[in-house]
Amino acid sequence: MNARAVAAWSACCLFIVLSTTNPIYKVLVLAAALCALAAGAGLRRPRRLLFAVVLIAAFAMVLNFVSAHLGATVLFALPDQIPALGGPYTLEALVFGASGGITIAAAILAAAPFSLLLDSHEVMDALPAPLSRTGVAIASSLNLVPAVATSFVEVTEAQRLRGWRPRGPRSWLEVVVPVVLTSVEGSIQLAESMEARGFGSGARTSMASQAMGRADWLLVAASGLALAGFAIAHAAGWAADWIPYPTLTLPTMNAVPIAACLLLFAPVVVWRSRR
Amino acid sequence: MAIATLTHLTYWYPGAATPALKDVCLEIDEGLTVVAGESGGGKSTLLRVLNGLVPHFHGGRIAGRAEVLGLDVIATPTRSMARRVGFVFQDPELQTVYNVVDREVAFGLENMAVPRRELAGRVEEALGAAGIADLAGRAVRTLSGGERQRVALASALAMRPRLVVLDEPTSQLDPDGARMVLAAATSLVDEGRSVVISEHRLDDLLQKAAGLVVVERGNVTTADPRGWSGPAPSLRPARVAAAGGEAWALENISAGFDGRLVLDGVDLAGHSGEVVVLSGPNGGGKTTLLRLIAGSLAPLGGDVWRRPGRVAYLPQNPTVLLHRPTVRSEVSFTLERSGEVGRPEKILAELGLLAVADRYPRDLSSGERQRAALAAVLPGSPALVLLDEPTRGIDSSARAALIALVGRLRDRGASVVMATHDDDLRNALADRVIHVSDGKVAEMSFAVAT
Repeated sequence: MNARAVAAWSACCLFIVLSTTNPIYKVLVLAAALCALAAGAGLRRPRRLLFAVVLIAAFAMVLNFVSAHLGATVLFALPDQIPALGGPYTLEALVFGASGGITIAAAILAAAPFSLLLDSHEVMDALPAPLSRTGVAIASSLNLVPAVATSFVEVTEAQRLRGWRPRGPRSWLEVVVPVVLTSVEGSIQLAESMEARGFGSGARTSMASQAMGRADWLLVAASGLALAGFAIAHAAGWAADWIPYPTLTLPTMNAVPIAACLLLFAPVVVWRSRR
Repeated sequence: MAIATLTHLTYWYPGAATPALKDVCLEIDEGLTVVAGESGGGKSTLLRVLNGLVPHFHGGRIAGRAEVLGLDVIATPTRSMARRVGFVFQDPELQTVYNVVDREVAFGLENMAVPRRELAGRVEEALGAAGIADLAGRAVRTLSGGERQRVALASALAMRPRLVVLDEPTSQLDPDGARMVLAAATSLVDEGRSVVISEHRLDDLLQKAAGLVVVERGNVTTADPRGWSGPAPSLRPARVAAAGGEAWALENISAGFDGRLVLDGVDLAGHSGEVVVLSGPNGGGKTTLLRLIAGSLAPLGGDVWRRPGRVAYLPQNPTVLLHRPTVRSEVSFTLERSGEVGRPEKILAELGLLAVADRYPRDLSSGERQRAALAAVLPGSPALVLLDEPTRGIDSSARAALIALVGRLRDRGASVVMATHDDDLRNALADRVIHVSDGKVAEMSFAVAT
């Protein structure tokens, strides 16, 4: 699996899901991203991410339902005197909120292969040569993330046993400060280690091969076709946008943008190596 | 022939009033050189002069001259020194850039712009030299501490340095891991490289050393490694009170995290006025056992019982505790929070920390930090004392002070449980030794030295 091919697929997913308001195409992209993750990682490994995505999407839907008092189909109403919450609650706001939730979920899942299917160094190796030093710095800092999580657990436990109890935001300083200090010190030690191995000497070479295999090229080609197909459909008016206000209507469909979205299912065929 | 010459070298860390190295005149010859001395004395600073991390990375002021392998250290940046001097740090987890062993070993070569076609061969050569050819392709996170440290050694060797510097490379490792690393390091000398190593486990190294450098309070002297008499084994503190009733108990405990079972079906108990030592390999479950006894980790099954009273817990990485402006205030913090009356100076004196009582704890050396963390958790009269590798990185005098302190707490009725690889500490304090490995515990026969 080549990070550049993954990047091409993710970029195409993001382009489609962010460039249209039509929920049919968004749902197709969401389904493609879900199937791609399942093909590459199975369903067990990303279960926490999936749970978080469902929560975030539900929150987006509820937020729009509660805050956008627009639309003709009133489901119920709260008195206008109630600050922020008062006013009519409409079916249009609920459906538009759901569409927003699908957008967020699809965008997150389209980017998820970078963390779930690739190592950080594979992502950074894919950066263009002028950014390679920046990439190494980012990759190495990502290596510190698990250490920060471990520090947080250790500090919380140790401070509790020294008599600390969570009593409001200020009390958390006694946990947060040591965690931050430990993280900073860890970063400095890592920087020292990198300096001792000549980091920053000048132009670098890389052991990583950026050669793409047949499956990677297939993915890039499918993504490119999907992007071009959807862009043309959008320009030609075949991928019409959808606005639920003031009265809810069904979104329109067209074969060309649907075919473009179906091309995003290509990872289901090519990602079978990292379960 | 001298590979490093320091002439009247004095170095101050940024903002420090007193120098960390004082007027050092030293010649280091080819072969194996051991650097010894008390923690906080300046060993790490001296080693960092050899590849220019001091002063180029750490800043501060420097006076005098330092020449290593023909390079003027003060005029040559560390990244240029890296081609000739390899460096291995204390903590294997904080020197890893990549997640895969081969890439990690190639990191320095990539920085030196070694052509890509040569990288695989150089990596293979370095892995072989460090004795870990079998680790090629492995994910770094799956390695033990000893394996990780040898990956760090291979990373340094990949650049084919003439001099390899190791700063307490075994301080975080279990005995097997330490043996592996020291064997790999000393074998480099047979291959014609020079090695400078700072260590607290000196016995085996001194047999093979060509030189011994002793660093104490910034003063550097040389000694004959054959004539060096290491510290005498710590004395077992006389017991003034017998062990009492049961203080904690684990009944049919199973525990784990991230879907992994770390302990399974464990039955164990400890008594007041008793010291129980947990031994076993890294990753065997010792820390999990301590966290269970402390109440920090909920078991997956079984029961944990603890006598009421304060729990003093030193975590595996004790410096995560330290966040107060001074060492003294760290101790006061624990006393205040636990509602105990006492003066911080008592435990600071016991652990030899009075001189640094008003310093910021994170500015101290690693050994001093360890003592500061011990002082922060052990003041007053805890009922249960849980220590995870309490002698990590500390010298023999600090170990002796810790032994006396734990002996006093034990005699006051505290129940003590320690996870340690330190034989000297175990021999001086243990009433019982429990071997923890592969999720099981077993009491080991243990003869108390008299």
